[in-house]
Amino acid sequence: MDIVIIGAGPAGIQAAIHASRGKAAVTMIGKRENSAIFGTHVENYFAIGGKANGSEMLDVGIAQAEAFGTKHLEENVTSIIKSENMFTVITENGSGITAKAIILASGVSRMKLNIPGEKEFFGKGVSYCAECDCNFYKGKRVAVIGDESEAAASAELMTQYASHVFWITKDTRTSDVMIKKAADAGVEIINEKASEIKGKENVKQLVLTDGSAVDVDGVFIELGGRSSSDLAMDVDVLPDADGTVRTDERCRTSVTGVYACGDITGKPWQIAKAVGQGATAGLNAVSYVKGNAGE
Amino acid sequence: MVTELNEKTFDAFIEENKVVLIDCWAPWCRPCRMIAPIIEELEAELKGKVAVAKLNTDDNQGIAARFGINAIPTLLVFKEGVMHEPLVGLRPKEEIKEYVMSL
Repeated sequence: MDIVIIGAGPAGIQAAIHASRGKAAVTMIGKRENSAIFGTHVENYFAIGGKANGSEMLDVGIAQAEAFGTKHLEENVTSIIKSENMFTVITENGSGITAKAIILASGVSRMKLNIPGEKEFFGKGVSYCAECDCNFYKGKRVAVIGDESEAAASAELMTQYASHVFWITKDTRTSDVMIKKAADAGVEIINEKASEIKGKENVKQLVLTDGSAVDVDGVFIELGGRSSSDLAMDVDVLPDADGTVRTDERCRTSVTGVYACGDITGKPWQIAKAVGQGATAGLNAVSYVKGNAGE
Repeated sequence: MVTELNEKTFDAFIEENKVVLIDCWAPWCRPCRMIAPIIEELEAELKGKVAVAKLNTDDNQGIAARFGINAIPTLLVFKEGVMHEPLVGLRPKEEIKEYVMSL
């Protein structure tokens, strides 16, 4: 593969269109539903009279990219492995795709669950990063909340530290591989939604929407797939503290062969900016993989 | 370079400096890597006003437990030896600066 694009929103799709038209072999990995325009109406984009349906725009855009030769995988990326001049992108089904260039177009993370107690107990039992805080929960009981790959991976990880791990997932949307790995590691899967986090000084209990509750010392909120910041750091790109990945006017990051476009590069979080950068990233990535020095 | 504290040097650092900001981190924590450049900048910008240091919570689990740290990055803040509300998670540089300067 020449180019792997991570993210299937306006930036990723536009990058795919331009890169495929440029005769590069392109795979785009990402779930439509994780795009910021999924399920919304768009009325501030060029040549749209009235309102356009964001989900339909994604469908049309993905079909357009596929018509030019892009392969689209409706999956989350769980990690990227960087070797000299090559990148291997691992998806939640466990497959690895190797490419010469990577385009990061996976947007900004929306990590908050917005349930009572979440804000109050942040840092007092509520965490958004199992990988960071696992060590503080040795021998304790924890719950991991989330329906996608990051929740599954976090629940599995926590079994190495916690005495008991609940995975709270109502509408599970990850691969059977990841669900099995979590279950085999001893995770207790509860198919319910979380409604409230309770405690005194620290977290004591997680209440579920069916009225039941689990006694826990920690609640890990791990929504969606692996965060854009984590994926950037997989390939040695260090984002700013707000998660923004810096690029130059060609959408190049600080690492050769790694491009970024769309919301991940900072505000404005607008389709117009995303597709503009997507086109730039796609064209420049094609020049790079074809060895054109001038790009 | 920002001073790295440990079990032996931690208490003395708080006693010897009027206002102290300590970045509690661990090697596997990616947000900690994102906040690290900010801490370095703050150390330079606040020189003479705030003493800035780092604490590896992996190597110094006793201190982490003593201050109830269960999420990183956490910024511990002390003034004249008294602990103030810590800042948990990634924060913009200006917010951290304003908070420590307001004490």
